[in-house]
Amino acid sequence: MKIQILGTGCAKCIKLTENAEKAAKEEGVSYEIEKVTDINKIMEFGVMFTPGIAIDGEVKSVGKVLSVEDIKKML
Amino acid sequence: MLEEKDICCSGNTNSLVLGCAGGSNVGQIANRVMIELDKKGIGRAYCLAGIGANLSGFVESAKAANVILVDGCPVGCGKKIFENHSITPARYIVITELGIEKNHNFDSVEAEVEVALQKIL
Repeated sequence: MKIQILGTGCAKCIKLTENAEKAAKEEGVSYEIEKVTDINKIMEFGVMFTPGIAIDGEVKSVGKVLSVEDIKKML
Repeated sequence: MLEEKDICCSGNTNSLVLGCAGGSNVGQIANRVMIELDKKGIGRAYCLAGIGANLSGFVESAKAANVILVDGCPVGCGKKIFENHSITPARYIVITELGIEKNHNFDSVEAEVEVALQKIL
């Protein structure tokens, strides 16, 4: 499973990354996390607000720091 | 062009403006109104087609925003696209409801955009 965190590296992006990693570990899924920090690449997702999270290429949330439990439901 | 200052914990507005851009005068007026509202800083112009195409980044961004949606006519393609994704715009504008008649004459679009903006703003 590929998890992409879309954001330029602010505190919220870092928190979302931490939550995503924790969710994946607790669910026991095989995963890789990519931090997408380049604005042009973020725009290619059509995302206008960050942080965003995409799972296997599909954007699941924009502009929010999802909780660990929220992310677990998406995995 | 999205810039870093516009996103990511910036605290800036999360308002988006979308226009239908259909193949009639009012469709093109809707598109131009979207651009003018962007220029005035009321909301950032955004891509209705991306939502219609069910592209996840566009759909989720619209859900996260306060959206001004501008349709050209009562067919309401933009509104129906939003309904398909259970998105409710903060403000909904239909150009024909501003007293501009739908036709296929694009020569008067510039003047009609001004009329529309005067009634919207």
